[in-house]
Amino acid sequence: MAPSLAEPLTLLGRVIDWFIPPQIAADRDMRQQARMFLMSHLFGPFIGNTVPLALYVVDPSPGYPIAVLAASITGFWIFPFVLKAGGRYQTLALLSIQNLMFCILWSCFFYGGVTSPTLPWVLTIPLLSFFYLSAAPSLRLTVLVMFGVNCLAFASAYRLGLSPERHDLPFAALQGLGLVSTVAASLYVAMMAIYYGKAQASQGEIETEMKQHMATAAELRRATEEAERAGVAKAEFLAKMSHELRTPLNAVIGYSQMLLEDAADEGDAEMAADLDKIHVAGQHLLKLVNEVLDLSKIEAGKMELFNQPTDVVGLVENVVAGFRKAADAAGDKLVVDVEGPVGTALCDEAKVRQALSQLVDNAIKFTSNGEVRVAVRKQDGRVFFDVRDTGIGIEEHVLPALFEHFTVGDDSSASKYGGTGLGLALARKLSRLMGGDVTVTSRVGVGSIFTMSIPHSLVEEEAVPGSAAAPAAGDCLDARIEALQELVAANAPAAAPVRRAVGS
Amino acid sequence: MTVILLVEDNEMNRDMLTRRLQRNGFEVICAPDGPTGVRLADEATPDLILMDVALGEMDGWEATLLIKGSEKTRHIPIIALTAHALSSDRERSVEVGCSDFDTKPVDLPRLLGKINACLRQRAEAAA
Repeated sequence: MAPSLAEPLTLLGRVIDWFIPPQIAADRDMRQQARMFLMSHLFGPFIGNTVPLALYVVDPSPGYPIAVLAASITGFWIFPFVLKAGGRYQTLALLSIQNLMFCILWSCFFYGGVTSPTLPWVLTIPLLSFFYLSAAPSLRLTVLVMFGVNCLAFASAYRLGLSPERHDLPFAALQGLGLVSTVAASLYVAMMAIYYGKAQASQGEIETEMKQHMATAAELRRATEEAERAGVAKAEFLAKMSHELRTPLNAVIGYSQMLLEDAADEGDAEMAADLDKIHVAGQHLLKLVNEVLDLSKIEAGKMELFNQPTDVVGLVENVVAGFRKAADAAGDKLVVDVEGPVGTALCDEAKVRQALSQLVDNAIKFTSNGEVRVAVRKQDGRVFFDVRDTGIGIEEHVLPALFEHFTVGDDSSASKYGGTGLGLALARKLSRLMGGDVTVTSRVGVGSIFTMSIPHSLVEEEAVPGSAAAPAAGDCLDARIEALQELVAANAPAAAPVRRAVGS
Repeated sequence: MTVILLVEDNEMNRDMLTRRLQRNGFEVICAPDGPTGVRLADEATPDLILMDVALGEMDGWEATLLIKGSEKTRHIPIIALTAHALSSDRERSVEVGCSDFDTKPVDLPRLLGKINACLRQRAEAAA
């Protein structure tokens, strides 16, 4: 039942909506009123015209009053098209109500006056006013005034002797006419009421659905915020942890190095070797702590990029120079290949350096008495760094997991070659943060090629950003400095013991 | 003798770095926090300042700003010491007027190289 009804109803809805101009369709309340207005004007004349038709049948001498009434009622059909053509909705609604009043009073005027069988139609006036203009009480008042004026006009016409030629109808005809008129008016009111109810119901459904969607959206937002908060909390915890870990580590590394220097001065080789082990282990632990911190920062979205014009080849040579000693110790030849001009790139130098260092470090670690070549080239708007080694290579089944945290080839190589297992993960994460990537190809026993890429943003295109903002930042600094000077003054007593210490 | 002001809040780090710098022929004065550092810079006008950036209430950046903001102390080269080489720290050290930047734990030969480079630059500028 429902599906068979749904089809024509949708069609009706489409026809009605076709008449509604876009500016009215955009507003929910206006659209609703316009739909009632259109429904009434498209179907009203069919029902309303039954009255002149019935009059024509029962009136023994039908004349111009019936023609005028029929023309007036049929005139309602013009309204939808005027609305479609851009007519002002409120004006049209009031005009339509005026026409309705005229029709009713006109028929009453000629057929029976206050006892006219067409009088029940008066009831449709407030009803339609409510449907058309529900949002505006002042307009409803206007309707009331209009009705008064109309009544007055017809009463005056009657008083002034413009009394109509009497269309006295036989009682039986009056009965029939009354029946037709009342049924038509009821039908009309029922039609409007049903349509109004249906429209309200569908409106309610849409609203319920919308509320559900909004509730879901709010829940999602809450969940996202919570996750973000958790991420921030995690990053903060790790940052704090790392700081707490680094402070004692600084002492271990610093004092062991100090003692190492003493031992070296005194020529105590055995002691120096032991202290060196403490020192190296301390450095290793520190590197691990730093890498964990960096990884967690990237994962929490807290790692920021500071792009600056960077001489790429200079950077590569600088990084490689830092590994010269390690390469010598491993018996490796360490070579830089510059493949064509690379120029100055806009990138975060420190992060490129960090990522590239991880790759070179890795290559040297797994290559002994071989060769490590670092090639740099510019291609398709990107800078590529190829780190080739002639080391042990990596088995194919390990490759996919290589960039996961704490993966070092296999477990045995971890113990044999050391390494934190975080380096490659960090290198890849850093590159991806910069809009690049790290990939690897490898053959066991032949060697590996790690390729890092970053976007090569031309420096010329990014003309001195921030130079205009500099003075404002300066003002801000001045204010901050003033505040700090107060802080120094306030802290004077705390500083006193130190001053004495200096004086002594 | 060359005087270095070390602003560092951790006692062990302060002790360690002081002794190692003294062994290398520097006179070292210490400040345990930012305000003291600023005060000592003004009173003792050292030849160079090593500034830990992660201090308490007033951090090393702020202390540097103050020292660089004073007529009497703005010529003193400052080397910022940070826990971890982040590019943001590098940027920041330039922004506030540090001459150089190094990471903790200190690799003494590297730091000595930077200290000497700063002192040389300063001497050349004064000459």
